[in-house]
Amino acid sequence: MAYGFEAKNDNGKVIINDTIENLHFVGKAARGSSSAGVGDFPGYGGANDALDGRIIHYYTITCSGTPIAFIKPTDYARWHGVIKQSVSSTTWSFDVIVSGTSTSNPPELYCFVNANDAPSSSESYGMQVFKSNGSTKTFDSRKQPLAITGGANVVAPSDPTNSSGLPGTSSGHSWNHSSNDHDFRCTNRYNEYNDSNINTSNTMFACPSLAQAVYKRQQHGYKESCNRFGFGCQDHFSTAAFWVMYRSAFRLRANKFDAGWSVFAAGYSFSSSFESGGWFGGGGGSYSSGSMPYTAKTINLQSNAYIIADSSRYD
Amino acid sequence: MSYGLSVFKADGSLGFSTADITWQTLDQFTVNANASVSNNYSEASGLTIIAQRQLVNVPPNSQEDFVPNVTVSGTTVSVAPQSGKSSAQCIVHVLAQDT
Repeated sequence: MAYGFEAKNDNGKVIINDTIENLHFVGKAARGSSSAGVGDFPGYGGANDALDGRIIHYYTITCSGTPIAFIKPTDYARWHGVIKQSVSSTTWSFDVIVSGTSTSNPPELYCFVNANDAPSSSESYGMQVFKSNGSTKTFDSRKQPLAITGGANVVAPSDPTNSSGLPGTSSGHSWNHSSNDHDFRCTNRYNEYNDSNINTSNTMFACPSLAQAVYKRQQHGYKESCNRFGFGCQDHFSTAAFWVMYRSAFRLRANKFDAGWSVFAAGYSFSSSFESGGWFGGGGGSYSSGSMPYTAKTINLQSNAYIIADSSRYD
Repeated sequence: MSYGLSVFKADGSLGFSTADITWQTLDQFTVNANASVSNNYSEASGLTIIAQRQLVNVPPNSQEDFVPNVTVSGTTVSVAPQSGKSSAQCIVHVLAQDT
């Protein structure tokens, strides 16, 4: 370069210059309410009822620019992911999913924006770097510039469930059969990536949750009933359905970055009916705990970049 | 360290130094549902570019929420719906690193 400013790190790589903006700490997002659920199938109490549960914590922060949010787990054993980011005026909202059923130990959300959008500083000393236009700041030593300690591309496995494969639909069951034979929990399903820079005391990560999956198990039951003379027969039908929706989520372990899943929503429905008239008369029963968001499939299963940093530098 | 740059916080602890690595931010923008965008960042020539996507909406209220594809070719970042799919609104962070 003929003029300007450029700083390289110990490996000779540019970390500050006057053409590209660095990210700076804007603050921790404020946590508001939390929503807990999906510890099991609602309205069902039979085999394989248990799910992993999830909490959604809601955060907000007001700032100029578009923040990148880093999740700093408090409980590193749990799975985390930012599943939504939206803005109203200059107030940004984040929905963070965390596996489990306890609302205790919520993660912290560290937010970073461009130097130009970082909050003003009252410090009168330090170093600022501007672009050649003289007005756009690329770096400001007073505003806690972001240092990244690692990163890579990761992707979750296509099947989120502990029982492998899409469970699908089966018929030939007895009437009113409703017994889930698929383990919909997802804690054993993940891809692990080695990263020697990860620890479970102060590492935070940024990796939005993109992938979604819906898995469904459906069982059809049937019987025919006839009177003792062999006529006046009736058909009896039943349908039991279990569905779970997942979002991709991530877990930090010592020297490991895990890309996996967290349950997001779940439902159970059951219906039973038999023909009107005949020996037993008409009627039936039904139960439904919610509608499945879309037909069973995995979508958005694409590599996404994660980056990690040391949260203690911004405390 | 015997040379280089260190930035200290007000409490005297280290905040940033030439022992660090970082990703710098080239751009941040929101792509509307079903829209396509292509931007060129000539200032990032020779750098590694990645793009992080963040969905704005959250299912199941919005049914299938397809994230748009992002492709990086040289210094051009292109965002477009997945083939044959309606894409959801998405925030894109474009980051660059000297590698």
